[in-house]
Amino acid sequence: MATTQRILVADDDPVSLRFVATLLRREGFEVLEAADGQRAIEIAREHRPDLLVADLLMPYRDGYEVLRAVREDDTLRGTPVIIVSMKDREEEIVRGFTEGADDWIVKPFQAKELLARVRRRLERRKAPPCR
Amino acid sequence: MSVILIATIVGLAAVFLGLTTVIVAGKAWREAGEARDRTRRQFLEPRILAYAQAEDGSIRAALGRTPSARDRRIVEAVLLDHAQRVRGAAFERMSRALDELGFVERYRAALRSARSWRRAWAAEQLGLAGARRAVPDLAAALRDPMIDVRMRAAKSLGLLGGAGSVRELIGALDEPNRWSSIRVADVLAGMGKGAVQEVIAAYPSLGAIGRLAALDVVGRARPLAAVPWLLERLGDAAPDARARAAHALGAIGDPRAVPALETALRDSAWPVRAMAAKALGRIGEPEAIPPLRRALRDPEWWVRSNAAHALGALGEAGTTALEEVLDSTDRYARSQAVVVLEERGVVDARAGGLVSDHAAERHVAAVFVRRLVAAGGTERLAELAADATDLALREQLRAHLAPAPTSVEGRS
Repeated sequence: MATTQRILVADDDPVSLRFVATLLRREGFEVLEAADGQRAIEIAREHRPDLLVADLLMPYRDGYEVLRAVREDDTLRGTPVIIVSMKDREEEIVRGFTEGADDWIVKPFQAKELLARVRRRLERRKAPPCR
Repeated sequence: MSVILIATIVGLAAVFLGLTTVIVAGKAWREAGEARDRTRRQFLEPRILAYAQAEDGSIRAALGRTPSARDRRIVEAVLLDHAQRVRGAAFERMSRALDELGFVERYRAALRSARSWRRAWAAEQLGLAGARRAVPDLAAALRDPMIDVRMRAAKSLGLLGGAGSVRELIGALDEPNRWSSIRVADVLAGMGKGAVQEVIAAYPSLGAIGRLAALDVVGRARPLAAVPWLLERLGDAAPDARARAAHALGAIGDPRAVPALETALRDSAWPVRAMAAKALGRIGEPEAIPPLRRALRDPEWWVRSNAAHALGALGEAGTTALEEVLDSTDRYARSQAVVVLEERGVVDARAGGLVSDHAAERHVAAVFVRRLVAAGGTERLAELAADATDLALREQLRAHLAPAPTSVEGRS
């Protein structure tokens, strides 16, 4: 029996958080929620999600810090991270990828696009590495 | 007497008690209402999101029944909250729900209200609700006597997009209030390349204010494809239009515009010359250095200032040109060169060479400082002579700034 994939959604905007969480739950994912960056890191370390969807501007620890924490943690290093942010400036996006983001979606976003990107990241994670 | 006094005190106490009771009860009632709303929102929001994220079905079916008056308010808030954060199919479904539940009709009616704040609110809601069928209503609101209503209607038309909205906004570029016109231009510039093309096509039919705003749209949107059209605008009869065309060409930054901008540096209208100088600095082609040097002698200070800043932006070659201007007989040109050399940190960097370990660098620095002093540019040097952390540099600079001529060129 296939295990349910676990996704951590971190966003300090409760409306966005609820939208994304509802969307992912409807698709059968187990969803963990965090309202700030610090909490996101704690939940990630405790529950080791299969994927993280994070906002950039969050209290306590911003999205970049969450990315760094994930990449520096041996048990989380390989976890795909998708940033969902209102920020769309080239240098911010480049910085996000430099810090270790796997994907970047600009708000307001399209629900189906987010789902497609989430699935793609999870599939890649499951796929065995090429030889 | 004492009976009256006691009665007064008792009366006042009763009034105070009554008022306190009313305030406390009102607050409790309000908080209870808010708590009820939160509970209802927790119940309704998942259903609304399920509806928005589904492929089909109506909002009424998703809610289970026709919502009560209280629930309608909550449903409206939830739909508008989420509609601002998503686009695509989910947004379209939330927009449809707002229409299906009669909110769009309510906003359209409010747009005809006698109270201007209500019209402004309605104009904003129609944009957030994605109510495309309200484009004609919003277009009419662009002619509202209150500026707040007009601006919110313009913003909403920008959110709604589509050819109809673009057409109406282009018409509003001719707003008699220049400030409003600029804000409408902002909205159009944010609507993408298609809108800019429409603006360019409509240019001949616009009035004087509208044409300037149209050039602002192009300057903000910065489409490379608009360069040939902007070059033509450098020949417009209106000096303001020529100036804005030059500004837009600088914003786009296409080197093809350099020859035409060099010609514009000799325009009869100084705003055009000033904008041409600025644009040449933004484009950054070194071939613009000689005409910019000539522009440093322009009779208008704004042109001189922009030319100096443009040279400062042209890298080492531009900086060298500014240094050469320090020897000019034109005091305006010298003054602008000093200002830019100071602003860009060139004075600090060159003066620092006075205490270099290399004799050649000390010589170059000393020559520069002497030229700067002769050009009257002593302000920053005096600051460095007072504040520089290097004591030897301070002494060197004081010697250069001393009234009597000095031959000090640094340590040897």
